[in-house]
Amino acid sequence: MNIEIANVNKKFGNFVALDDVSISIPKGEIIALLGPSGCGKTTILRIIAGLETPDSGVIKFFGEDFSNKKIKDRKVGFVFQHYALFRHMNVFENIAFGLRIRPRKIRPDEKTIRENVMRLVSLVQLDNFVNRFPSELSGGQRQRVALARALAVEPTVLLLDEPFGALDAKVRKELRLWLRRLHDEIPVTSIFVTHDQDEALEVSDSVVIVNKGKVEQIGSPEEVCDSPANPFVADFLSDVDELSIKKKKKGLFNVINDKRQGI
Amino acid sequence: MVKKRVVHEPLWVKTLLFLISGAFLFVFIVLPLVTIFREAFKSGIAVYMETFSDPGVMSAIKLSLLTVLICVPINTFFGVFIAWLLTKYRFPGRKVLITIIDLPFSISPVIAGLLFIFLFGSFGWFGAWLMEYDIRIVFAVPGIVLATLFVSFPFVARELMPLMRELGKDDEEAALTLGASGFQIFWKVTLPNIKWGLLYGIILTNARALGEFGAVSVVSGFVRGVTTTMPLYIDILYGEYMFRAAFALASLMTFLALVTIIAKAVLEYYIAAQRKSMEVKIQS
Repeated sequence: MNIEIANVNKKFGNFVALDDVSISIPKGEIIALLGPSGCGKTTILRIIAGLETPDSGVIKFFGEDFSNKKIKDRKVGFVFQHYALFRHMNVFENIAFGLRIRPRKIRPDEKTIRENVMRLVSLVQLDNFVNRFPSELSGGQRQRVALARALAVEPTVLLLDEPFGALDAKVRKELRLWLRRLHDEIPVTSIFVTHDQDEALEVSDSVVIVNKGKVEQIGSPEEVCDSPANPFVADFLSDVDELSIKKKKKGLFNVINDKRQGI
Repeated sequence: MVKKRVVHEPLWVKTLLFLISGAFLFVFIVLPLVTIFREAFKSGIAVYMETFSDPGVMSAIKLSLLTVLICVPINTFFGVFIAWLLTKYRFPGRKVLITIIDLPFSISPVIAGLLFIFLFGSFGWFGAWLMEYDIRIVFAVPGIVLATLFVSFPFVARELMPLMRELGKDDEEAALTLGASGFQIFWKVTLPNIKWGLLYGIILTNARALGEFGAVSVVSGFVRGVTTTMPLYIDILYGEYMFRAAFALASLMTFLALVTIIAKAVLEYYIAAQRKSMEVKIQS
């Protein structure tokens, strides 16, 4: 197991955000945290990153207890819902940020930074935009800059908070498949938060359904659809487009063919 | 929402409004400004320059600059510090603190001055203790600096708080997950984000620190050449019927104020540009 969350509780004042949450995430998989808004899924993500501390419970990375580990030592990449790009830096500097701020001893030299950034830039297909500032990019482009910036520090875990939430419907669908392919190309475990059932089922290897701070069911997209654990899951997934799961399989099959279709 | 112009004023109304406000501005702002410079230069450049060879005038200029040099950095530092504290964290008493920040604005400068007399004057709370160690605060330079610090404190914090609230915590958190230390986050992420607002706050602090009369006059004691700042010295000169010198010094202060206002206008332009770039971010 790569990441393990065991019996995590979190309260904000009197509001119970997480109630005894336990999730195990296998290495290299892409996991969706799915649930209605305000259910606590983003809190789970922030606790894994270290941006929130749980009231009780344990977070383990590769069997090692990370509960008290500092954020910078966790090696997580976090993609924020509104991207949080540094608006006074261009695309290149945004992506290079995580490398440039390293202590002198472990900081790569300028040439290595340049190579790394350019490799990431072409991975997210923004080769012609390195000198642009965030305000000069479209939503989808900013999303990809945020992704490249998070990947620059070579995280073992990639955390994405509503990665498609701020995009319009068409771009969303394209980015979905693109993210799935990107994940398959790089050695990383990804966890993303979404309230969109189709999105979760189409992109992920397994789905964690969360409601009111509790985990309702964990399983592959097929499992949660075919045999929902309780009435909430059944109801929550009832209006899912059955095709999205099949589409995902087809999408994966066609990866090589339309790899360069561009988004 | 489409804006609809319900009222369409006739031309004569607009003209009248323009004339009235124009006349008002001319009489109450432009005319006094012109008068200051006209009076200052009335007897020629030589007499004007003579004013500045008076040691009293020179020491007043020096004291004012010293006060500004002490107050602006201190208030900038604590202004940023407190704005950061009040916008990035939630804690009990936060609302009270936000209200307290405005106190120097809301109470009269004279009372602000008296506060320091009550605290540090010979019959004040710390008076006896200070006498024992022979430390002079009231009727001395430290008192002037303290009073100025007090009245010019809110500007930086006031200017930064709405800006920082709007910016939120996302950028800092992003930097944190990328491995930045607190120090790096402040210098490389927060400061570039707030720089225009911060400069604007500094300019306003500077203007107030330079021009403060009320609070400073209470704690000054008017020891000529020692505890007289520029505004106080203008008052002294005027009281002694030395109009030329008073206006000459006043023209220097006015000039500094004009420079400040122009700097402020330039900054406003940049702040508006920044707001615009933030809007784009939010819309898409």
